[in-house]
Amino acid sequence: MIQKRKFSWMDAIIFVLLTLGALAILIPFWNVVMISFSTQKEYADHPLMIFPSQPTLDNYRQLFEKGGIGTGYLNTLKLLLLGLPLSLFLTTSMAYGLSRTGYPGKKPIFFLVLFTMIFNGGIVPLYLIMKDLNLTGSLWSVVLAGGFSAFNMILMMNYFHTLPESLMESARLDGAGEWKILFSIILPLSAPIVATITLFYGVAIWNGWYDAMIFLRKAEQMPLQNVLRSIIVESQLNTSNAASLDASAGQRFSMGMKMAAVFVTMVPIMCFFPLLQKHFAKGVMTGAIKT
Amino acid sequence: MKPAAAVPQNSRTGGNKLGTYFRQIWKHRMTYTLLIPGLVWLVLFAYMPMGGLSLAFKDFKANLGIWGSPWVGWENFEYVFRDPAFIDAVWKTLAINVTKLIIQFPFPIMLALLLNELRMSRYKKVMQTVFTFPHFLSWIVVSGIVINVLSHDGLINSALTLFGAQPINFMGSEKLFVPMVIVTDIWKSAGWGAIIYLAAISGIDMDQYESAQIDGATRLQQLFRITLPNILPTITVMFILSVGGLMSSGFDQIFNLMNAATKNAAEVLDVYIYRITFQSATDFSFSSAVSLFRSIINMALLLIADRAAKWMGGDGLFR
Repeated sequence: MIQKRKFSWMDAIIFVLLTLGALAILIPFWNVVMISFSTQKEYADHPLMIFPSQPTLDNYRQLFEKGGIGTGYLNTLKLLLLGLPLSLFLTTSMAYGLSRTGYPGKKPIFFLVLFTMIFNGGIVPLYLIMKDLNLTGSLWSVVLAGGFSAFNMILMMNYFHTLPESLMESARLDGAGEWKILFSIILPLSAPIVATITLFYGVAIWNGWYDAMIFLRKAEQMPLQNVLRSIIVESQLNTSNAASLDASAGQRFSMGMKMAAVFVTMVPIMCFFPLLQKHFAKGVMTGAIKT
Repeated sequence: MKPAAAVPQNSRTGGNKLGTYFRQIWKHRMTYTLLIPGLVWLVLFAYMPMGGLSLAFKDFKANLGIWGSPWVGWENFEYVFRDPAFIDAVWKTLAINVTKLIIQFPFPIMLALLLNELRMSRYKKVMQTVFTFPHFLSWIVVSGIVINVLSHDGLINSALTLFGAQPINFMGSEKLFVPMVIVTDIWKSAGWGAIIYLAAISGIDMDQYESAQIDGATRLQQLFRITLPNILPTITVMFILSVGGLMSSGFDQIFNLMNAATKNAAEVLDVYIYRITFQSATDFSFSSAVSLFRSIINMALLLIADRAAKWMGGDGLFR
């Protein structure tokens, strides 16, 4: 056993360093949330406030009225509703198929999956192919582009490898086909990995914006992150002269509205965070790819 | 259950071998149907775009499409390598990533060591939660937070003016762009990066610490003589893997933190590809040539990193 030691000067230094680091992360968040609840005047007068003297929901009301945040939320929800089932279907079926043994062609097929992790065509040909398939301008382009991740598939395949083969063998003796085995025997036993993979895809969809920016045209189709981007980043991009940065950025969206938009986009991640932390850390640990 | 091995009826062994092969395939036909949905996706959205990179050797005509446009050989590459903006973007990518590698790389390690040495286990959990949280936010959200903190009326400038200093135009300065990218990346991802080192530390045999304590080793001595040497393989592998990512430039971050004032300092390779493809010229052949160059360099770096990691006794990318 490690003997108990007294609280030393070293403990004090460690405590202080870590606390300072944590404050460096927490204070900006606190500031964002507080600005989102304060009036424009108060923000201008006391940017260093710890708590707004007259908390207000005005920023949120205005944001939902003219910021397009509501539509953004709706579009991201649509992407999740379409994308998650599709991704889970593609990932589980392939992972189970590749966890089977003894059939010709397994190795080359697995190599096809692995190769996508080290080489990709990039956005230019993908854009042209989406255009050829008549998918640009439709939410499906975004859903399909993010539909499959080799990393997630391999995570799942590794999990399937740990299930006892005798289970599938006896089901096969009872005349069950592979699809039936997958859905009625494997999946009920795979709740932890299905949860992990769902969260992986879910966070990727929630935080995704690049595909939407490239493939979609109309503002009312844009998912939440793109709406947030147009509120925050692009209002800044338009001010070509750095000196006038704050003067004109404030015209369409006040800082309070911008921070309200940041907060609104962040809230679901905060709600799911305990789950995310647990599953993502596990993913990192078991993420080493075994071939 | 295996089908009873059929006694071969015909005597030609070659045909027989082929026959067993097809019998094998037929026997596993169900398994292949499992692979079909995934394979269709891979072909459509991974391999067709890879094939589409052949545009790098073609002269793209919108009416002929990717596959019908005429071949032109290496012509596009001649233009690419003559474009000063391209050369510039390559150097900028390398410069940013090498700086990142040197300055940013130790942070997750130090954080993991500090967290590991923290005695209060409740507080340690809280700290870990705080440090990993930003990892799950998009760079757009983080960019919103950064713009708020660094803006003219933001936290830092308000504090500076409070102490009588001049406010600094953080977001609009080319000189400060790379430092800002590094600091914000540490802010967002150091906690997440620490997880892998914490796992390595938790795998260290406790006996080593016990006998060190019996010999009267101080905590600092234990840190430098036991903890660090034990996680050195993990550190090496992580370092090599970061080298493998030298040309993939964190587009997500840079694209959301840049603005009109910093666009020159921020034009790394992926930003350059985005600009020439969707903003300025839209010459798809030219941008395909750049993309192909980028993808090949990335692949080469990854494969070299993988070999090196294995050579150092680590796991590499593919075990």
